[in-house]
Amino acid sequence: MSKRWLRRTDFNLVAATVAIIIMSLIIIGSATHINAATQERYWFVQRQGIFAILNGAVAIFLMNFDYKALQRYGNRLYILNLLMLLAVMFLGHSALGAQRWIQLGPITLQPSEFSKLIMIISLAAILEDKVGKLNNLHDLIPVALYVGLPFLLVLKQPDLGTSLVFMAIFVGMIFACGVNLRLLGGAFGVGIACLPILWHFLKDYQKMRIMVFMDPNVDPLGSGYHIIQSKIAVGSGMLLGKGLFGGTQSQLNFLPENHTDFIFAVVGEELGFIGAAFLLLLYLVLLWRGIMIARNASDTFGRLLAVGITSMWAFHVLVNVGMTTGIMPVTGIPLPFMSYGVSSLTTNIMSIAILLNIHMRKQKLLF
Amino acid sequence: MVVNDFDGRLKVLGALIVLVIAVLIARIGYLQIYDGEYYAGLADGNRIRLIPSMAPRGTFYDRNGQMLVTNRPGFTVSLLPLTAPISDDVIARLSALLNVPVEEIQKKIKAHSGFDPIRIKNDVGPEILTIIEEQKTAYPGVIIEVQSIRDYPYKEQGAHIFGYVSEISDEELEKRKDEGYKTGDIIGKAGLEKLYDPELRGTNGGEQVEVDVTGKPVQILGRKNPVPGCDLVLTIDQKIQAAAEKAVDEQLVKIGAKAAAAVVMNPQTGEVLALVSRPAYDPNLFAHGISSKDWKVINDNPNFPMDNKAVVGEYPPGSTFKIVTGTAALSEGKVTPEEKIFDSGHHWIIPKGNADGEALGWINFVEAMAHSDNVYFYEMGNRLGIDALERYARMFGLGEKTGINLPYESEGLVANRRYKEKVFGDDWYLSETFDAAIGQGFNLVTPLQAAMVMGEIAADGKRYKPYLVQRIVAPSGSVVKQFEPVLLSKLDVQPDIIRLVQQGLRDVTKFGTAASIFGPEFPVDIAGKTGTAENSQGKDHGWFVAYGPFVNPNIVVAVVVEQGGYGAQSAVPIGKKIIEAAFDIPDPEDTAKEEAEKKKEKETADAQAQAQTQSAQQ
Repeated sequence: MSKRWLRRTDFNLVAATVAIIIMSLIIIGSATHINAATQERYWFVQRQGIFAILNGAVAIFLMNFDYKALQRYGNRLYILNLLMLLAVMFLGHSALGAQRWIQLGPITLQPSEFSKLIMIISLAAILEDKVGKLNNLHDLIPVALYVGLPFLLVLKQPDLGTSLVFMAIFVGMIFACGVNLRLLGGAFGVGIACLPILWHFLKDYQKMRIMVFMDPNVDPLGSGYHIIQSKIAVGSGMLLGKGLFGGTQSQLNFLPENHTDFIFAVVGEELGFIGAAFLLLLYLVLLWRGIMIARNASDTFGRLLAVGITSMWAFHVLVNVGMTTGIMPVTGIPLPFMSYGVSSLTTNIMSIAILLNIHMRKQKLLF
Repeated sequence: MVVNDFDGRLKVLGALIVLVIAVLIARIGYLQIYDGEYYAGLADGNRIRLIPSMAPRGTFYDRNGQMLVTNRPGFTVSLLPLTAPISDDVIARLSALLNVPVEEIQKKIKAHSGFDPIRIKNDVGPEILTIIEEQKTAYPGVIIEVQSIRDYPYKEQGAHIFGYVSEISDEELEKRKDEGYKTGDIIGKAGLEKLYDPELRGTNGGEQVEVDVTGKPVQILGRKNPVPGCDLVLTIDQKIQAAAEKAVDEQLVKIGAKAAAAVVMNPQTGEVLALVSRPAYDPNLFAHGISSKDWKVINDNPNFPMDNKAVVGEYPPGSTFKIVTGTAALSEGKVTPEEKIFDSGHHWIIPKGNADGEALGWINFVEAMAHSDNVYFYEMGNRLGIDALERYARMFGLGEKTGINLPYESEGLVANRRYKEKVFGDDWYLSETFDAAIGQGFNLVTPLQAAMVMGEIAADGKRYKPYLVQRIVAPSGSVVKQFEPVLLSKLDVQPDIIRLVQQGLRDVTKFGTAASIFGPEFPVDIAGKTGTAENSQGKDHGWFVAYGPFVNPNIVVAVVVEQGGYGAQSAVPIGKKIIEAAFDIPDPEDTAKEEAEKKKEKETADAQAQAQTQSAQQ
């Protein structure tokens, strides 16, 4: 059993993931001043490390189950998802102007993180019999509404970043499903036409962020400050970086939230172009394996799951790194496996578990 | 077929992912390798400083568009915090130049954190500016910030309407942090400046500046232009305001009184046209931090210059209260307009009489009002009883805030049984009803309330909420908020009764207590009422309330002169001058003076011409 199990593991995927997590622990340590002699200096690294190990153990245990069972729970998971997002609305406590967290004992959970993976599973379940059948509006609208409801709940929190991730997952999955490209183009057109309406729903600070993206000088003392400082951090790392704990931008607290959303700036500053490019190549391996697992999956449900997960990560990497380097607006979405955050890490490791599970049961082994 | 199509799409997704990663690697390559030197330079000891620039506060205009309160540029000397400590030499030089003790500068540096400038001295003169600019190398890290400083060109005029601004206090900061207030912000502390601070303050901007090792700015990395605050268009008429201020000042000097207040309103709308309180203060003193010497002068003044006596001051209304008593008596049918009551100089139940013991004999309502006969109104109080008096006083809006848009308004007090029971633990006596009927005893009103009472008679019973701001205008010119007249209530009194009261009040300036001042020739029909309020602390307070023109009135005036003695002699002359200004009636004294001046000018001109012709002839 265990030998067969090992033989069927996607080692490239595991290696890339483990490598990113190790980098993450080192950089979180640097960003939270593990080198400074304070009592809580190990807090973030310890927490992130413990959760990585616990989640890894759970992931290995989950290998015993067949992912195909998930398909039957699609609708139930969908309802659970809505309930969870509603719970945030009523019970959640807010930070930085957004109501995203639920306090559960010592842990603060961010349900919108889990919500992404649940969305992928339930969407894969309903799209499973629609491959090649998304040719007109009549086919597409029910699926769009299915995603639209949780999308709006997340947008209401407000969590613009996560709601955009929902969009990316949706587009990635229906694209793989063979959606009529003209239909997709039309939907994009409508989406862009609706942007002014969406703009209306945005909070002032979100509007400011988008305006700042267009022109960081709009608010150099406020949100523009993040962009300017993080560009300085990345750029000043040059080819080889300033070395761990050597980043003046991050060590001297010029960079806000440098262990969460802006962690890539620390990588850029302290490890230089070499380190940052290496990290991006690790992501390339991760995403590439995601696509390959989708291509080789034994059933459509598995294929769609893999595509959804890969789309999610690709979007996270693009937006997060883009934001840190000043080519994307500031939306608070974390860098997968790198940013500090228990909810995000758990979701991502569970996603890895699903990918590995699909890989284990890929078509070739059936023969 | 389907499977192949799926696979094809996955290949496209795969290609997209490679593209995304390639773009991101290209981007970091550009930042770190191509532009790396530049960013490394910026990050070196972080050479970025934030220099905030404060938004100019909104301007105040009067109802005719005349500017009342504005801003002027001021220069602040600041130190940019550097990675290296600022040298003692520089601090010593700066201390000598600015006349600020070294310890104070060091204290400011110590208390400061962050990367925005440390303000050393506000509003310095141009000579200091020049020295610092010329000797830049002697003052490394010293910068000049341009800030807009609040300017009140009319100085003390309107000070109590506008209020003043100064740096936010710790308590205010604690309370208003959520509204975006920050340390060092300038905030309105009194008057309209305080009430409309959120609208007036605008949004601060700033610059993110790259500095070199010595703190000298090298280049500006980002700039956010400050957004000016909204402007206020007031209901004030600067012409009337200036005339009222002048009239009050001249009268105070003339009769040797120290404190007074005046309110001018439009009774048909509630618009406040002028509002004066004396003694006053110069709000400019606060705009750049008041000196302890100046503050001592204000603080030691026994007549409280900071108080806006027009809305905060509470005075016994004296005979102006007879408007309320008279209206109540007629409305309740306790007296008819024709009924004559005999004034022997004293009332027959309680021997209270007129001020100077004069006796007017048989008089009716209008005569009693015109001559402000105490005995007649004691009898009205006697017939009404204190409870009915209280009810009418409250109907006129006494004993409650008028709701004017100024902070700290007083409620005043309406004489009543419950108050006496509560405060003195004693029953109500008839003699106290007598006192209340003529506005003495427990009754207290603010000058604004006195103007309101008169205004209600002028507007046939309608009580409008007094207001000072017509509209709030955004810097773009669009109207943010428009204020309309608000009808608060209407007197529950028959129109013919109000007309009788109006008649009595007109006779005050025709034949009654104010007739000698107004004279028979006064071109506009004015209704008025004088008052002399007994004051246990010293001389009596003088009152005058008036409205005009008698038909379709659009001006109501209330004047009180603290310890001014008889209202007719202290307050009426002020009221008259205000009315003259409001109706563009030339002041006979001024006209005489002007004519004399013209004559003199002509004479000198003639003499000069003569001299010239003479010299030419020679």
